[in-house]
Amino acid sequence: MKRRDILKLAGAGGVLLLSGTAAAGDTQGMASNDDALGVLVDTTVCIGCRKCEWACNQANALSSRDSKAFEDKSVCRKQRRPVDDAFTVVNAFDGRRSDGEPSYMKIQCMHCFKPACVSACLVGALRKTPEGPVTYDSWKCMGCRYCMVACPFQIPAYEYSDPLTPRVRKCTFCAERLGEGKKPACVEICPNEALTFGKRRDLVMLAYSRIRQFPDRYVDHVYGENEAGGTSWMYLSPVDFTKTELPALNSRPIPEITETIQHGVFRWFVPPVLLYGILGLSMISMKTGDQDKKEDDNGA
Amino acid sequence: MAHDVAAPVQAPFFTTGTRILAAIAGIGIAVYIFRLIAGLGMVTNLDNQYPWGLWIAIDVACGVALAAGGFTTAALVHIFHQEKYHPVVRPALLTALLGYTFVVIGLLADLGRYYNVWHPMIPFMWQGNSVLFEVGICVMIYLTVLYIEFVPIATERFKGRVHLLGRLSVFDRLIEWAITLADKTLGRVMSLFIIAGVVLSCLHQSSLGTLMVIAPTKMHPLWYTPMSPLLFLLSAIAVGFPMVIFESILASRSFKLKPELDILSGLARFIPVILGLYLSVKIIDLILRGAWVYLFDGSPASLMYFLELGGGVLLPLIILMIPKARGSVGWLFTAAALVIGGVALNRINVFLVAYTPLYATKTYFPSPFEIALTAGLIALLVLAYRAAVMIFPVIALPAGVRPMVVENKNKALAGA
Amino acid sequence: MKRKDNIFGISAVITIVIGLAVAFGPTADLSAREMPKVNCSQCHSCETPTAQNPCLTNCPRMSQVNVAGRHDLSEAPKVLILNKLVNQYGAVHFNHKLHAEMAGMNQGCTTCHHYSPEGHISPCSECHGKEGQSANLGQPGLKGAFHRQCISCHREWSHDTDCRICHMPLEGKSTSSGTTIDSTDIVGISHVRLVEPEKKVYYTSYKGKPVVTFFHKDHTELFNLRCVDCHTKENCSGCHDIEKPVRAAKSEAEVHAVCSGCHASNSCETCHDSREKPAFAHGSTGWPLNQYHVKLECRGCHPTGKRISRLRADCVACHGSWNPQNFQHAVTGLQLDKTHAEVDCGDCHRDKRYDVKPDCSTCHDDNRSPEKAPPGHYVKTRG
Repeated sequence: MKRRDILKLAGAGGVLLLSGTAAAGDTQGMASNDDALGVLVDTTVCIGCRKCEWACNQANALSSRDSKAFEDKSVCRKQRRPVDDAFTVVNAFDGRRSDGEPSYMKIQCMHCFKPACVSACLVGALRKTPEGPVTYDSWKCMGCRYCMVACPFQIPAYEYSDPLTPRVRKCTFCAERLGEGKKPACVEICPNEALTFGKRRDLVMLAYSRIRQFPDRYVDHVYGENEAGGTSWMYLSPVDFTKTELPALNSRPIPEITETIQHGVFRWFVPPVLLYGILGLSMISMKTGDQDKKEDDNGA
Repeated sequence: MAHDVAAPVQAPFFTTGTRILAAIAGIGIAVYIFRLIAGLGMVTNLDNQYPWGLWIAIDVACGVALAAGGFTTAALVHIFHQEKYHPVVRPALLTALLGYTFVVIGLLADLGRYYNVWHPMIPFMWQGNSVLFEVGICVMIYLTVLYIEFVPIATERFKGRVHLLGRLSVFDRLIEWAITLADKTLGRVMSLFIIAGVVLSCLHQSSLGTLMVIAPTKMHPLWYTPMSPLLFLLSAIAVGFPMVIFESILASRSFKLKPELDILSGLARFIPVILGLYLSVKIIDLILRGAWVYLFDGSPASLMYFLELGGGVLLPLIILMIPKARGSVGWLFTAAALVIGGVALNRINVFLVAYTPLYATKTYFPSPFEIALTAGLIALLVLAYRAAVMIFPVIALPAGVRPMVVENKNKALAGA
Repeated sequence: MKRKDNIFGISAVITIVIGLAVAFGPTADLSAREMPKVNCSQCHSCETPTAQNPCLTNCPRMSQVNVAGRHDLSEAPKVLILNKLVNQYGAVHFNHKLHAEMAGMNQGCTTCHHYSPEGHISPCSECHGKEGQSANLGQPGLKGAFHRQCISCHREWSHDTDCRICHMPLEGKSTSSGTTIDSTDIVGISHVRLVEPEKKVYYTSYKGKPVVTFFHKDHTELFNLRCVDCHTKENCSGCHDIEKPVRAAKSEAEVHAVCSGCHASNSCETCHDSREKPAFAHGSTGWPLNQYHVKLECRGCHPTGKRISRLRADCVACHGSWNPQNFQHAVTGLQLDKTHAEVDCGDCHRDKRYDVKPDCSTCHDDNRSPEKAPPGHYVKTRG
């Protein structure tokens, strides 16, 4: 009876394999939601005033530093990274301005269309919402920090100093504020309006229209339009993006390969079941000789 | 069976060696407690650039790989019916069981919210895209399967011998009945669990290799390959038998037993085949990706790669190709140790050496606490193994030793 | 038996390989971007715009009417106080006059008033609404419009984007009207006083006499030239740059145009010489300045026009109130003694030449001179 069951299982596995292979071509489509929100960062307009850092700090109730702590512009030259109590930082870079002034680039979570962190998170604590933000639920989180390994922008930061309830910290895209119909805090405060908030689709158009209108001012590249499969936050730059701190990425979503492998290995559970069937078959078929030793064998 | 029957080993638990191990384990436990109280920041050198360190690379990745002996021997003996190797099944199973148990213990130390470790079991948190989810689920199930596979060993030890102390002795009959029932039931379905164990192992051993494939921009090209899961699976299979050989020789030394050379050299025959397959896939992959150019740049990474492949794969491959070497305990031990070192180095390379943060301002080196905890867990694992083989019938003993154990059954029971 | 093992062992491996192969099947092209639907004619005037000829329609920015032509600076308020958000930020005192004058060096009024329809001068808020109210994402809101307008120039010219350069601190609000600087030229306007070069020496390609010595200070001080009289196309960023932009070589006509407005009738040698020209010395005009006259502003004596007029050399040409009764001879540095004080002016200063020292021989025949035997004593304060 046992043998028959296993044989049945293996047979079913074979059928499943055939159908599974046929369906293997489709990969997960890009989360191309026309109404998804985004932000366009125009680094030629940013003056590095760090008001966004302060607003972010306030909106997320991060540290108790007052606005004075955000007035020192010299820290921009230190190539800071977002940390657990600063979700965004403004860094200086050489934008080859004729007046010799540095250009500035605000750094925060890019809110990818196909976020590697979301793909990595084994309990779904990180989630890409249809509106655009990649949100985090600390209640679900196990603290494995695989999201930090996965992020191609090195954004998620961890509260290492917290022994009991450490959280992964990163820009939230002010998801709560968006829900209330407001703009992200950084966008709202930006005095020079270097940050433009809107539907991502419109922002791509806007970005290219600016490039067309001022070809001397921008390189013909909208960073984030296609990088890593597209990001909700995008950048315009006066110099080639390889000269900025943003990483050079192609248009393949970062988790594409791992997800393809995973979905391939587990396509309708065919490969595991098939392997189970083959092993079961061989177990039975090779046992022909000494059936009477059954008791002994089981004792392992 | 012509072979010797497994029985609890009779030997003094404490020797100089185990005392040293106990000291190391004690320090490790102290650090573990300190880690739980003080948090990761105080204890580790991990930061936002290097979210994963020694604990993931050794406690988890190496731990899982080196516990592969459990499924390879189970497959060899129970699925492919190579009954000759029956005596190594139980030690390998125990190694796997303890290895995975310590993987979980080590993982708990690394998890920021270790009390949420059960979350992958909650269906609404399932996240099928995550490689780590698959690894987590597979390890959880496989660990359960390992314990189930171990049940017959425990029942064998206690069937007909249940004798609880004092008033608890009223439950003796009940427990006896439960044990008998479990033994009978399991006896019928054990094959299903054994195959499941092999399948689960193949899945998560390979998926461990998929883990770092999600970080293409951070990984060194020598190790960044979509073939990584296959390489991890092959290397896990390759390290299974060497691990059995290594342990067996160590245990026989420690317990002053004669190593079962014919079994071990028989196992050793399989190793070059798998190592050869592993090596060729690895080299072909390196050539196809064009990553071989990084071999000769003299960087630390390239040296590590040579060390991993030359010392850990090629050298033992050559040694074990020689029949004479396969017949020598010394050479067997050396080759097995090399393979183990090579696979361990591979895991360390993949998870630590190959990983370079985009905005690295420093390089990661584990803190003394991290090293102490890892060393402590390894020491504790060895001690637990020693205790287990002294309690349960795991190691096949020569006929002469057996009666002694039976005579001392009551004493051993009290110890349990 | 053994062979069978191998077959099944290999088949297990194959399964995994197949699994991986399945995994790496062809994937959809993710780089393809869907272009959203838009109305082309909103921006393009032709049917088939190309990269070479995009035939873009003019945006409102282009269809401006020059403010300067229709309005005079004097109509505008001198200082604007922007205090709508005074509870959040200190009021901004914007000196319109001063900025307007500076804008003269750039694009004039249109530097800021980039869109001015016929009829009135639009306030910024006419187009730039509060954030988020504009349908056009590309148009900055009022906040952005203000800040960009100010900061983009300040960043370029003063290398300072600090909030305080415009926003008064909330505590201890300044009550000043906003400006204390008042002048008529670049140098005087809000700009720190420039260190003006005494002279500039140019080495030209003019054969034989290549050196042109330009006495910069003389031109501004003697001829009352304003900076903008010569620096007509200068803009702030021409100076306020760490790396000065490379200036295009000027044609001969352009170079000479700067000077020829005044020096049209002069010969080449007026400017060109074989060596550096000496600085202007008043003595070369036949009137070396004495200790008093050397202290005077040029314009004190030569008040008219850009051309310096030749003055009459007699004292009363300037000192019109002087007459023999009230003239104190000591101002010349010589206190006459009693004897000479009695003498008529014309007795010593023959032909009423008061600018030259007199000849003593009309009265004295001992060959004396005013130096050797002064008709009194020299006043000590001289020099």
